[in-house]
Amino acid sequence: MSLAATPSRTNAPRLDGVAIAAGLATLICAAPAIAVLALALTQNAHAEFGAALIANGAIGTMTLVLAGGAGAVVFGAVAAWLVTLCNFPGRSIFEWALAIPLAAPSYILAYAYASMTWAGGSPIPVNGVWGAAFIYAVGLYPYVYLAARAAFASQSACALEAARMLGASPLRVFWRVALPLARPGIAAGAALACMEIAADYGAAQHFGLTTLSTAVFRAWYAHGEPGVALQISGVLLVAAMLFLFIERSARGRASYAGGSSRWRPLPRYTLNVAASMLAVGFCVALILFGALLPLLWLARLAVLHADVQDIARPFMNSIVFSTIGTIVTLALAAAIAVAARRASSWGKTPLFAAGMGYAAPGAVIALGALSLFGLAREAGWVSGLGAGLSLAALFWTYAARFSAAGVGPIDAGLARLSKGLDASARTLGAGSWRRFAAIDLPIAAPSLAAAALILFVEILKELPATLILRPFNFDTLAIKAYSYASDERLLDAAAPSLLVFLAGLAPIIILARNIERGRAGAHS
Amino acid sequence: MLLRNVRNIFSEAALSFPLSRRGLVLGASATALSACVGGGDKFINVYTARHYDADRALYAAFQEATGIEIRALTGSAEQLLERMKAEGDQTEADVFISADAGNLWKVKDAGLFQNVTTPTLQEKVPEHLRDPDGAFWGFTKRARIIVYRKDAVRPEEVATMDALGTARFRSQIVMRSSSNVYQLSTLAARIERLGAENARAWAAAVRGNFAHDPQGSDTDQIKAVAAGEAQASVCNHYYYFRMVRSEDPADRAVVEKVGFVFPDQAGAGTHINISGGGVTAHAKRRDLGVQFLEYLVSDEAQTMLAPLNTEFPIRPEIAPAPDLAAAGAFKEENIPLDALGRHQAEAARIFEEVGWS
Repeated sequence: MSLAATPSRTNAPRLDGVAIAAGLATLICAAPAIAVLALALTQNAHAEFGAALIANGAIGTMTLVLAGGAGAVVFGAVAAWLVTLCNFPGRSIFEWALAIPLAAPSYILAYAYASMTWAGGSPIPVNGVWGAAFIYAVGLYPYVYLAARAAFASQSACALEAARMLGASPLRVFWRVALPLARPGIAAGAALACMEIAADYGAAQHFGLTTLSTAVFRAWYAHGEPGVALQISGVLLVAAMLFLFIERSARGRASYAGGSSRWRPLPRYTLNVAASMLAVGFCVALILFGALLPLLWLARLAVLHADVQDIARPFMNSIVFSTIGTIVTLALAAAIAVAARRASSWGKTPLFAAGMGYAAPGAVIALGALSLFGLAREAGWVSGLGAGLSLAALFWTYAARFSAAGVGPIDAGLARLSKGLDASARTLGAGSWRRFAAIDLPIAAPSLAAAALILFVEILKELPATLILRPFNFDTLAIKAYSYASDERLLDAAAPSLLVFLAGLAPIIILARNIERGRAGAHS
Repeated sequence: MLLRNVRNIFSEAALSFPLSRRGLVLGASATALSACVGGGDKFINVYTARHYDADRALYAAFQEATGIEIRALTGSAEQLLERMKAEGDQTEADVFISADAGNLWKVKDAGLFQNVTTPTLQEKVPEHLRDPDGAFWGFTKRARIIVYRKDAVRPEEVATMDALGTARFRSQIVMRSSSNVYQLSTLAARIERLGAENARAWAAAVRGNFAHDPQGSDTDQIKAVAAGEAQASVCNHYYYFRMVRSEDPADRAVVEKVGFVFPDQAGAGTHINISGGGVTAHAKRRDLGVQFLEYLVSDEAQTMLAPLNTEFPIRPEIAPAPDLAAAGAFKEENIPLDALGRHQAEAARIFEEVGWS
């Protein structure tokens, strides 16, 4: 699209400092994914099994996205409605506790449930396609829950009260008013959950499923065809853009879907005893299946395995890696979000470009980064992947993989900024950086904090890119857990797996507890 | 710009955490960094696809004996290979180790091993457990065994791999996914011995006997057999023995119900695979790497690995762990090891064609 296509906008793009920074940030975040796409397009598709693999993988991925995604949407939306619009015992605890499963990576849930199922300790057998779909549903519903909760919370109390006064039953209000109004939020959360499902490798592999993600590795490892692996990755990247498009357009509609910036307490239904018990049971079940049960199982295994492992150092490494990765990714994500918000329609391109990496397996993005590195080496720009470069490549990959997870919340936070504010500041002669520092940054600060917490947990859980790109003698908790689990030693994997979860728990709880404060006028 | 920022950020963070080690020398430029990593101490960098605690004990013993530090980077063999390809002649890796001959062959095929032949290695590593050109050398071996449910199957019914494809076991077999490298190597060995057509027929017959689609690990196959989902499966011997030794009583209860045989004793012998390593083509410390390879097959390392891990020592004269020794000697399949790599892609294609996912 040319710049001339949008001449009527007052805030037409100009090449200023922020725009240049944003351009650079986008380029950095998108480069590995673009490298993979470019490589995918330039491979000669001679292997006939490639098409079959892609077809089978696409069916597998679609099944999981539909089944797991539907489960996540139902669980997340109902849970959000219950805690936002109903009163029942323990509501204020469930409000944040329902986010807990976010701290448990799918691959660790898969290890735990598989082990539990074999040992007869699982109330329901978890295996095969439906086992994986179950794990995605109970593990990823918090994405929908958090987005839906924010959507419900920002709904106009007047609309809901009007419906009640007109005699609508609670269920009817849910179906006819609250749910339609919250649909964009739910769709945005669902898109994130679906991207996670499409990118997941660990759980799908553990259950022996053929998905696009596992097909990438089947082509690469078993068939020895990295070219076909790249082509399948290309398909995944395109799927990612599709999900991203859904998420973006859903968010776009969310901004004028009956939200209110005036604040009144939301009218809550007080549930009767039976309904309360149902509500409590539902919330408890979600937390139990999404986190507590598998983690208690892991704890049991960890206790059985009395050996004290060298866990302190990987723990510190995980914290340091995640912190630095978060800072780097956050800075890039903020630049992208701010620029996209200011610019006209062409400025949304960076959001897409930076978002591609989110639905691709980390190993694919790392492969893209590696191939770029290989090019740079051949051109004589850099030497080997020494400790410094390998760390740089790793943080670069984190940014490429997760910037979308950071851009999303920041962009949503900036959405509250009225366009007039930026225009007024401009009229008063404030420069680009000044507007960034004096307007965008303070307004986005809470979202930045939220984004930082999400990124921290994502990087903490990240496995394949860390595995490929880290320097010598350097293990994180996730690496430890994987190494043992891939060697089929769940007893040894239990302790690091538990620690990955526990380290992510605090940020998740802080994040969940702060969403209510995000509501206009709310103080607590 | 980004690189510099990342480095600066990292050095600040690293300074405030008591984590620093030579691998993370602070603030230096990337090139200076790789140069000063050595710091005068003797060390070698090892890319390894083995994640065992036993290996760490081995590295420590090696350093004790020689003063040479082992710096390990663990990962999957394919990913480490991809990293090594990207690094080209600038790679930091001196030695590459994998737990499967097929993966070692891929490294050789990519031209990233150099041939190393020393009298010690030649004397100690049996000929069928090393690369013919000396690109890689085995230091432990594992056998592909058949596991069966004791209350449903007599051991003589599963004396051969072929038996798993017969009508006796209709809907009674579970198997690991064909994307697993041990599965690929097993079929690749069959292609080498009996040809692709035979291999395809066998894979199709076994596929026809599946109780359900492949899922889970080798250990999971043993558990599935114990749980009655099927009567027999195939796994690497050391997963079985690890369950026997497990601290988890549930594991031991599972393996109580399951027996095993070394298949094909009257025929070609049981399929075996190696853990092995080689010196990389662009190794900066070739001699130290060779020294490490020789150490891996020394009396000290071999006797040390035997009780720590449930693998077999590569040298026939070294006694395996007592429980392995109790299982008795067995006849090994004898094929050139590089066949596992040469036929790997074809094995993958056959599995794909017969619907063994």
